[in-house]
Amino acid sequence: MIQFEQVSKHYAGGHEALSQLSFTIPTGEMAFVTGHSGAGKSTLLKLLGVIERPSHGSITVDGQNLAKVRGRGIPRLRQRIGMVFQDHRLLMDRTVFANVELPLTIAGIARVERGRRVRAALEKVGLLSYERQLPATLSTGEQQRVGIARAIVARPSLLIADEPTGNLDPQLAVEIMGLFAEFQQVGTTVLIASHDLPLIKRMRKRVVVLDHGRLVADLAAEEVL
Amino acid sequence: MAADSAHRDAAPPPRNEASHTRRIASWREHHGWSAGASLRRLAARPLGSLLTIAVMGLALALPLAFYLLLGNVQQLGHALGQDQAINVFLQPDQAASQAQLLAKQLGDRSDVAAVTIKTPQQGLDELAKLQGFSGALDALDQNPLPFVLMVQPKPGADAAAVARLVGDLRDMHSVAQVQDSGTWRQRLDALLGVGERVVAALALMLALAALLVVGNSVRMDIASRHEEIGVLLLVGASSAFVRRPYLYAGIWYGLFSGILAALLALAIEFALSGPVAQLSQAYDGKLHLGGLPLWLLLAVPPAAAALGWLGARLVSAWQLRKAV
Repeated sequence: MIQFEQVSKHYAGGHEALSQLSFTIPTGEMAFVTGHSGAGKSTLLKLLGVIERPSHGSITVDGQNLAKVRGRGIPRLRQRIGMVFQDHRLLMDRTVFANVELPLTIAGIARVERGRRVRAALEKVGLLSYERQLPATLSTGEQQRVGIARAIVARPSLLIADEPTGNLDPQLAVEIMGLFAEFQQVGTTVLIASHDLPLIKRMRKRVVVLDHGRLVADLAAEEVL
Repeated sequence: MAADSAHRDAAPPPRNEASHTRRIASWREHHGWSAGASLRRLAARPLGSLLTIAVMGLALALPLAFYLLLGNVQQLGHALGQDQAINVFLQPDQAASQAQLLAKQLGDRSDVAAVTIKTPQQGLDELAKLQGFSGALDALDQNPLPFVLMVQPKPGADAAAVARLVGDLRDMHSVAQVQDSGTWRQRLDALLGVGERVVAALALMLALAALLVVGNSVRMDIASRHEEIGVLLLVGASSAFVRRPYLYAGIWYGLFSGILAALLALAIEFALSGPVAQLSQAYDGKLHLGGLPLWLLLAVPPAAAALGWLGARLVSAWQLRKAV
């Protein structure tokens, strides 16, 4: 479960990226965070990944107050969160297999088990036959799927994605969103920041709408038209 | 069916499945990977790596060369000191039997290596050989020279021990005069003391320079892999995990430069061996100038590797603090 309570985030210079944000996303739910550019979507995800800290308020993930996560606790927390980025953030000098394997190596999973899980994740995103290739030889959509495989391979309890379909054509975007929906169906909490309203409407999931860092709407799946 | 299986393998629970043993095996595996990967990265940019290793190697070879020089000056001092016997001139009324008795007493002392008696006649004969003295000696009615005891201090005796011996000799009633060239030995010891300090200070400064060289190379390496480090941290890597390949890079830099430093020191030793042999011959083979001890040569590469590790550790800790 994700819980934001009165969360604000101010940057140096006085810019307020988030303002007194409060909402809860139950375990196993899939939700979108949307809003115009600068609404605070990316900041919200950065706070969840402890890439940044809130100026005020508290954030709780699966009962753990992120304000209290320090030092070695940060990598442990991030091992429980799968992150997908718009720019994929792949290691271009390592193969697809090695990229997806990374979270498992970090988590200390044995080699045989790693191989099994990496292939399963690649099969899930339809890239098993690309495992020996370098990311640069893949299309943008394929690279994004490698990023998704890397995010899910360690079986995270929470999957967060920042504009995961930003660079993809509409058909591919739907496929990618379909993948996220599948992960939700097996119990993973999924939170996606996106400004692609047609796609969001099509997915019919809960939508949290931000504007200038404030929560302006929190729509249940059935309320999304 | 296959898709279901893939789904189960790819998605959620259970967690915390990596047992302690598996984690250790994985930790060791990552150490192996880090060692290999860092070596490959060094090999991927040979010029930069070689320059770093060469600069470090030279910085570490210099103290070794000075150590070699200082050690040999010490040995030279001791070897020359053996020729600098203390001349003890006995009172003119001392007979041969008394000179022999005194020589035996002195020979029994723990700080004396040998005592040689020079009779008045031997002294006269030596004077006669010197130019311009033969005519003057003919004019003498009798031999005015006393018995002289040439006292050789124990090899390795320092200036203070020799000064004590000279003092004891001067206090003897049967002794008229003691001629000691101990002042130069004292100066040599003092100079060697200064030399030792200089070498120690130099070694410290050059080790610091080597540390900075490794640190700078690792810093540039980390800077060029800034994005990769960011990704690793985002997917849950600990600082230790991220830092590991860079620490191994530091170890490789240190190890290779340590080997280079030891080889350079051996080359210097080899280059000096010819002139040293000639010098030894000039002293009738009494000089035995030594090289660097084997333990020191063997200790240099691991010590340099430790230095490299330290440099990489300090820089990576500082650099990673700035990362995500």
